Amino acid sequence: MTTATFDLAADVPKRSSAAGIAVVLLLPIALVNAIGFILPVLNLARMSFNEALPGGGIAETLTAANWTGLLQDRFYLDLIVNSVAVSLGITLATLLASYPIALYLHRASGAWRTFLTVLVISPLLTSAVVRTYGWIALLAEQGPVANVIAAMGFQPPRMMFNTTGVVIGLTEILMPYMILSLMAGFGRLDPKVEEAARTLGATPFRTFWRVILPLTLPGIALGCLLCFVLAISSFITPKLMGGGRVFLLATEIYDQAIVTLNWPLAATLSMLVLIIFGAALAVYSRVLRMIDQG
Amino acid sequence: MEDNPTSWFMRVTVGLLFLFLLAPVLLVFPISFSGDRVLAFPPSSWSLRWYEALLGNSVMMRAFLTSLGLAAVVTVLSLIIAIPASYAIVRLKVRGSEFLFNLFTAPLLLPTIVLGLAILMIFASAGLLATFTGLVIGHLVITLPYALRVLSVSLGNLSLACEEAASSLGAKPLIVFRKVTLPMMAPGIVAATALCFLVSFDEVVITLFLTGPRMTTLPVELFHHVESQADPLVASVSVLLILMTIAVVMIVDRTMGLTKAFVK
Amino acid sequence: MMHQTIKGSGVAAVKDPYLCLEGINKKYGLIEVISNLNLEVRKGELIALLGPSGCGKTTTLRMIAGLITPTAGRIAVGGRDVTRIAPHGRDMGLVFQSYALFPHMTVARNVAFGLEMRGLSRAEIGAKVTRALGMVQLEHLAGRKPRELSGGQQQRVALARALVIEPSILLLDEPLSNLDAKLRDEMRTQIRDIQQQLGITTVFVTHDQVEALSMCDRIVVMKGGLIEQVGTPHEIYEHPATPFVASFVGRTNRIKGVRNADGSIGIGSSLIRSASSVKPGDVMVMVRPHRIRIDWSGTERQGETANRIAASLSRITFVGDVIQYHFDVDGSEFIVEESTIKSQAGHHPGKQAVLSWAVEDTFVFGADQ
Repeated sequence: MTTATFDLAADVPKRSSAAGIAVVLLLPIALVNAIGFILPVLNLARMSFNEALPGGGIAETLTAANWTGLLQDRFYLDLIVNSVAVSLGITLATLLASYPIALYLHRASGAWRTFLTVLVISPLLTSAVVRTYGWIALLAEQGPVANVIAAMGFQPPRMMFNTTGVVIGLTEILMPYMILSLMAGFGRLDPKVEEAARTLGATPFRTFWRVILPLTLPGIALGCLLCFVLAISSFITPKLMGGGRVFLLATEIYDQAIVTLNWPLAATLSMLVLIIFGAALAVYSRVLRMIDQG
Repeated sequence: MEDNPTSWFMRVTVGLLFLFLLAPVLLVFPISFSGDRVLAFPPSSWSLRWYEALLGNSVMMRAFLTSLGLAAVVTVLSLIIAIPASYAIVRLKVRGSEFLFNLFTAPLLLPTIVLGLAILMIFASAGLLATFTGLVIGHLVITLPYALRVLSVSLGNLSLACEEAASSLGAKPLIVFRKVTLPMMAPGIVAATALCFLVSFDEVVITLFLTGPRMTTLPVELFHHVESQADPLVASVSVLLILMTIAVVMIVDRTMGLTKAFVK
Repeated sequence: MMHQTIKGSGVAAVKDPYLCLEGINKKYGLIEVISNLNLEVRKGELIALLGPSGCGKTTTLRMIAGLITPTAGRIAVGGRDVTRIAPHGRDMGLVFQSYALFPHMTVARNVAFGLEMRGLSRAEIGAKVTRALGMVQLEHLAGRKPRELSGGQQQRVALARALVIEPSILLLDEPLSNLDAKLRDEMRTQIRDIQQQLGITTVFVTHDQVEALSMCDRIVVMKGGLIEQVGTPHEIYEHPATPFVASFVGRTNRIKGVRNADGSIGIGSSLIRSASSVKPGDVMVMVRPHRIRIDWSGTERQGETANRIAASLSRITFVGDVIQYHFDVDGSEFIVEESTIKSQAGHHPGKQAVLSWAVEDTFVFGADQ
């Protein structure tokens, strides 16, 4: 009965038996998906239209009050604008810090390139908590970075428990994603094109500006999309490095869910993050189309 | 570009950026050997006191064991669930298999903060919070997409001919799977195992929503510890986590190298 | 639709058939890849399914093996209907184009696999594996992994693996196409020898006419999911049933002609005769290049059974073993091949000659075929 296993285009009777087996094989993963993904997400969407009662209670009424309240509250409007602005800033910083590394890696070859690529990927395998802790140690008031700045004769700025620290930490944490995206996009950058531009008399700067940069735009767009969505939904680094003084969407979701126990509001903020995701994706596909059309 | 003045400028820039990229991870190692009572770099003296403190910290040690057990259980379950699923999607090619693949890998597209909150709300009413079962299911939600993706690619790259040869030699479908398909998937299975283990062992955000004082994992305990006091104890735990990761990657490299020699 | 019985001159039905394919039809969606295929194979026969890619020969083989189920029709082996039986229950030895050796098992384990599936004792398995590997001269490589073997050695392991289970039918799917030319010649002989020695019924899929002609008892020429002709290599070559068979098996000249009411065929201003019976009207005349003789002086005496036609030499191509003369006959091109000899007389384009060939070497087909 299970011969259909070996039949790419099975006949009608076989197809039904293959389908029967497939249902059995797919049941466990479907169950986990339903319990741990579909049901929670649907519930989250519905929760954003529920009403929060004092003391963590929830009224199962359908109301748009969370949404209208959110969009009328100055605090939350500022939170949204601030989150988007900080995430954009982090994305730009990540791009600037990653581009030279990606370009260098693209031009490197052999074992050296493999070694450097492993170095780029290795932070990805390290917990965000560990890396954030490393930044706390580096940026502390009497920390090594502050000492270096002081040694150069400047007054070291405060870098912890404010947006500066969060931006520095997240920039570093998101760099591997950006570098890998850029390298994927650099695939279409043929070294011969550069050589051609140079032999035609272009200066290095003009070569970069007129030839290299335009060719690598798709990789840049992909990396920026990825880093923006990761930045706006990042939680560990803003929470630990912000010291409760940096308010971003993700930290607010956590505080509303765990501290204030206002689940409908937390759900509404979560849905808002998803909406911003969608908007970022729309911008990305528009940008890609514009690049395609030259 | 060897004789170009931008070349050394580029090299210095890249060198500094690499330093920036690796600094926080590298810094953890010397700090873990600090003899100071508070976090400072460079430390004023060296000692193993924070490793001793770690061994004496029953909360951390319990969390470590929980993480280890959780990652092991989640990894085994991920394989048990994802191997048949990948077979159904890649080999049986039932109608809508592409849609199912996208659906089953969709949890990776959601930010973990949103997914964690969503799971929290469901698990709270089901009494699964701060339970081992709850953590296992929560982790499966994100390890299964990785496992399914890696295993599907690995199975899809296998030629059907070997399986057909086995069945023409008289092997029943289940035996074909056990004796031919499964061994040939070995590299994919090793990769999926490592990935699931690392993802589960390092998971923080979703786990934060699902743990409680009764039941916590090492990364979550570490998070709470850093939140309240960033002392060198964290560095020794971090070193432990990093070494764990290196060990897993090395095991994979070893076995992958072996299986590659084995299969190809 | 009795397509092949109308076209085929060979025998599709045989006495005491061992493998029977009856009214086999295979559709993928609306596309019919095999249409009403009927074929009977005698026990111990080596039969080739020959045709260009996409002709349905591999699909037919896979249906015999049970890897594909026919949409309609019946497959029987030794009187037993196997149409709905899974591949693992069919007892057939299958050799793949890619060999499909199990990469994680040694050569010996590969060969032993089918025997293990049959629940034989270890001693029996050991003995049979040794004998099978001996048959393909690979005993010394029993402990190796497939990746450590050359293409030819892998091919022989695949053959040993398929034969060791003593299958009712041996199925070979383009087994020689991944080998280099020299090895291919060796393997042709070896496969034929083993097949004869074991007397095993064998179906051999190939797109190479030389393989089919040199190895097989009978050839099934296929095109577009239909059987064009079934016959012995000699029948296929000397009595092609269709223009496709004539041009696919061996080389041939294709010349347009007109059949007159009296049976003669006009090519340009010349008239020739043929044993083929076709309706009057436009026809396609085919003559194999090496069956044509060139009479440079135009004075040689010919028997009554020869066709003679005046031609003018247009081009000469030297191909080593043979020399090709291209002749023009009222706008039609005739190619004539002669074996080369060292002291070849020099001929120049423009030279006139008379071409002659036997009437029975003249194949004539209706223009609609």
